[in-house]
Amino acid sequence: MRRLLFSSVAIAALAFGPAAHANTMIELQRFFGACDADYGKVTDVSAAVGECGIITALINKFEADNPGIDVNVTTVEWPGYDQLNAQLASGAAPDVVSMHYSAISDYQTRGLIEPIDPVLAAQGILPDSFTDAARNGVTKEEQMFGLPFDNWTMLFHVNLNLMKQAGLVNADGTPILPTSVEELVTQGKQFKEKTGKPYLVQILANETATYARILYTLLQQQNADFFADPLKITLNTPEAKTAVETMKRIKDEGLTTVGLDYPAAVSAFANGDGGIAVNGTWLIGDYVAQSEKSGTALSGGYTVYPVPQLFPGRDSTYSDGHSWVMPRKDRSPEQVEAIGKLFKFLAENDFQWARTGHLPAVKAVFDMEQFKSLPHRSNIAEIAQTGQSLPAAVQRQFAIQDIIGEEVGAAVNGDKSVEEALGSAESRINDLLANL
Amino acid sequence: MAESYRRSHWKNGLFVLPYLSVFVVLLVFPLAWGVWLSLHKVDLFGPGRFVGLNNYVRVLADPVFLQALRNSVVFVAFSVPTLVVLGLFLALALNRTTRATSFFRGLFFSSSVLSVTIVTLIWRFVFIPGDGLMAVLFEQVGLPPIGFLSTSGWSLFSVGVATVWWCLGLPMMLFLAALQQIPSDLYEAAALDNASPLRVLTRITLPSIARTIMLVAIIQIVMQFQLFGQAQLMTNGGPNGTSRPLVMYIYEVGFVRWDVGKAAAASEILFLIILCAAMAQYVIATRKPEASE
Amino acid sequence: MSTENTTYRPESLTANRPLLWIAAFLSILMMAPVAWIVGLSIKSNQDLMLGTETVFQLPYTIANYINILHSSQAFGWFFNSLVVACGQTLGVLVLSSLAGYAFARLEFPWRRTLFVIVLFGLAVPEQAVIIARHQMFNWFGLHNSYIGLILPNLSSAFGVFLMTQFFRAIPKEIDEAALLDNASQFRIFWKIMLPLTLPAQATLGIFTFLYAWNDYWWPLISATRKEMFTLTIGIASSQTNFAQSEGLGFLSAQAVFASLPVLIVYLIFQRHIVTAVSGGAVK
Repeated sequence: MRRLLFSSVAIAALAFGPAAHANTMIELQRFFGACDADYGKVTDVSAAVGECGIITALINKFEADNPGIDVNVTTVEWPGYDQLNAQLASGAAPDVVSMHYSAISDYQTRGLIEPIDPVLAAQGILPDSFTDAARNGVTKEEQMFGLPFDNWTMLFHVNLNLMKQAGLVNADGTPILPTSVEELVTQGKQFKEKTGKPYLVQILANETATYARILYTLLQQQNADFFADPLKITLNTPEAKTAVETMKRIKDEGLTTVGLDYPAAVSAFANGDGGIAVNGTWLIGDYVAQSEKSGTALSGGYTVYPVPQLFPGRDSTYSDGHSWVMPRKDRSPEQVEAIGKLFKFLAENDFQWARTGHLPAVKAVFDMEQFKSLPHRSNIAEIAQTGQSLPAAVQRQFAIQDIIGEEVGAAVNGDKSVEEALGSAESRINDLLANL
Repeated sequence: MAESYRRSHWKNGLFVLPYLSVFVVLLVFPLAWGVWLSLHKVDLFGPGRFVGLNNYVRVLADPVFLQALRNSVVFVAFSVPTLVVLGLFLALALNRTTRATSFFRGLFFSSSVLSVTIVTLIWRFVFIPGDGLMAVLFEQVGLPPIGFLSTSGWSLFSVGVATVWWCLGLPMMLFLAALQQIPSDLYEAAALDNASPLRVLTRITLPSIARTIMLVAIIQIVMQFQLFGQAQLMTNGGPNGTSRPLVMYIYEVGFVRWDVGKAAAASEILFLIILCAAMAQYVIATRKPEASE
Repeated sequence: MSTENTTYRPESLTANRPLLWIAAFLSILMMAPVAWIVGLSIKSNQDLMLGTETVFQLPYTIANYINILHSSQAFGWFFNSLVVACGQTLGVLVLSSLAGYAFARLEFPWRRTLFVIVLFGLAVPEQAVIIARHQMFNWFGLHNSYIGLILPNLSSAFGVFLMTQFFRAIPKEIDEAALLDNASQFRIFWKIMLPLTLPAQATLGIFTFLYAWNDYWWPLISATRKEMFTLTIGIASSQTNFAQSEGLGFLSAQAVFASLPVLIVYLIFQRHIVTAVSGGAVK
């Protein structure tokens, strides 16, 4: 028995043993993946490629520049909000968390995150140094609730090598992209005929986000105001029906890859399994790196464009962005200062982050020669104007995205009729929003 | 003396006190607290307001809940018989002591010691499109690829395959144990009668281990009804919710949608279902008492 | 394979050669996914980017394993899992033995009622109480601690039920003899009864250890700081979006690496585990 007692005491001691740190410690929690194997020691940010590499190198660099500050990074499964919820509920929230603009209203309305204006002010960062889109994304009730880091949209990543083969390239070397649904179908068929490969590489499996983003985009392009009331979505509309039918038609005509999940879709495009990847800004850096290597499917033949305007309404693409928020908790003044320094560092290095392909959140980056000389950025510059998010007051946007993805996915894959899927999505979302 | 020893004394209760306190604090109280939560509109972060039975109404009217319930039932209905039959088959095949059989026993049990995330990682890499083992094999053979994790029907099936692979060891071991307790004179008698192996199986072996078959089935029903990790990590419940089990529904409602009251109501319904199943089982078991104890 | 037995063995009526061959075939199906993962783990991520069928070709590399040694947090996660699983096993054994002994062999007020109530506990699925438990643990600040990870499953009624059955099976004469020597109740339990239940302890211990080792939901919402991740949660945190992550090869290596210690322990104790499960569970 005594032995039992000792071991439980030992366990208790392990459980409550405090960790002593002379340095100021910031707990940072983020998605963007884990890549310590490749970038764990890298402090030369310019050598890093891709979201994971660049953010890992940025934090390493910050720690190297600020010997008195330790940043303890936890990587969570994307998007990590259920884990964050459990942490907030148990009072174990980290100091800094990566958060989509579209998720901020959930936490802000419930008083779970802090306004960061004082932190920015202490570091001399002016709110109007950020782009309007970025600033709007994090601003609620005239306060900023996160450090904006970028803006992103879905894009058309184009494999020019295959497009040439399909005869879909202009004399100047730019790809011929559709300007209407009919053109999309015709060009898609032509592509398939000439190359034997699907025209689009889409993420249609085990993911809900892409379906929702494409639906929002197609609705916006038809000028549909589906969230006139932030507590009520309207999907039983001709516009929504047209949008989903378009998505279904692309699949039914065999113009897209099917059954690919996110990682499979990313590598399928890199391997030349299709002409155009419908995926986010964050992949530009990776794909450019691939196209600069010889012997890959993208060698010397990669470019990228915004999702084309397929409906006469207006040119628009659903956009969102990443930010860094501070959960409400007790912090020492040293910690707040350290977070301020980190925010300042991240804002100053927003160019590095923009190398991923994201649009910078800091205005000044747009004027940097370095940024202008990044490949393909002029093609997609317009998304700064055409990018549009959901109304800021809409809550639970990730849960809504899951519902839409599930229902629209069912319609596209033929498990449900389009009307049925839209009706079911509408009633499920409205039940969710009616019971906030 | 024996009488004095058997006499009721409150001090004897001290032996159960440690467990009972844990039981009350960590099971009874949370159960009651869960009922309380289920009557409130409440999120993860603070006090809510009383809404009566509204959460229960919402759960029972939620098609997603009904779908998840159906998924869980279907999953149990297919995975449990598979586990019982395969486990029994392996036990019969490996029921002797040679180097080969003990090697196979060890092999079939070894997957049980892996954690769910490793099991799902392994099976994801088998089933994922393009790069997965199945995709590679199908391509070699020239078959069209199947979206194992993304097609309705296939996705729950794939979760089931991974689950059977993971859980097979325990039923096999329990059956082996039961087989070894069958008195050998029964077999000797059968050998004298020149009974065929099939007859020995149906007349001696199976009846002798009926209790164990029942036990294994019950353990597996309870375990498989709690399916969560495999589905969440392999298919995330998709497509169209066709592989979302009940427990994942509770998790999503509580931790993704913040609707803790509704999640608590769904939990209580799950509790009622399992309680009813247990009661039914108890009634059946007491009506047909087995020979031993 | 075995040589024909000259002496008569009852089991040879159930186990025969064709069955064994089918079992051997099943074992290949059983091992195929594992072989696949091991194969992936010894390929470089660059090769795998070109297609996983390269697994069947040279060259192979141990770079992924070296990367793990340099960067992975799997060691810490493994240690956490070990502490939690051992703590839980120990706790369940102590509580269940004490309670099982009393329920089976002692008389005290409300014994039967209490036992029936505990049996009802068997029907309570963890999921039915997990949300309420999570809130309770908030009040006491128990999340992100070993205690917080160990405590919940100690309430499982399964162990008590199992141990009660075992203590019941021990012949009455044994402790009655001890009582003649005026030994205290606890002494009888500790010195005489407990050693007799060692096979049962082993069985319950293995069940509990495996359950704790594989637990998913509770650590997912309770251990939210990476220092407290168990192996299960740690691997999950890097698993999902592996395109943005370290690649198939690295993740496979991590899975192999993380399973190795348990598998080795399992192989060492395999014989005992088999006997324990066989000897214990069916009575």
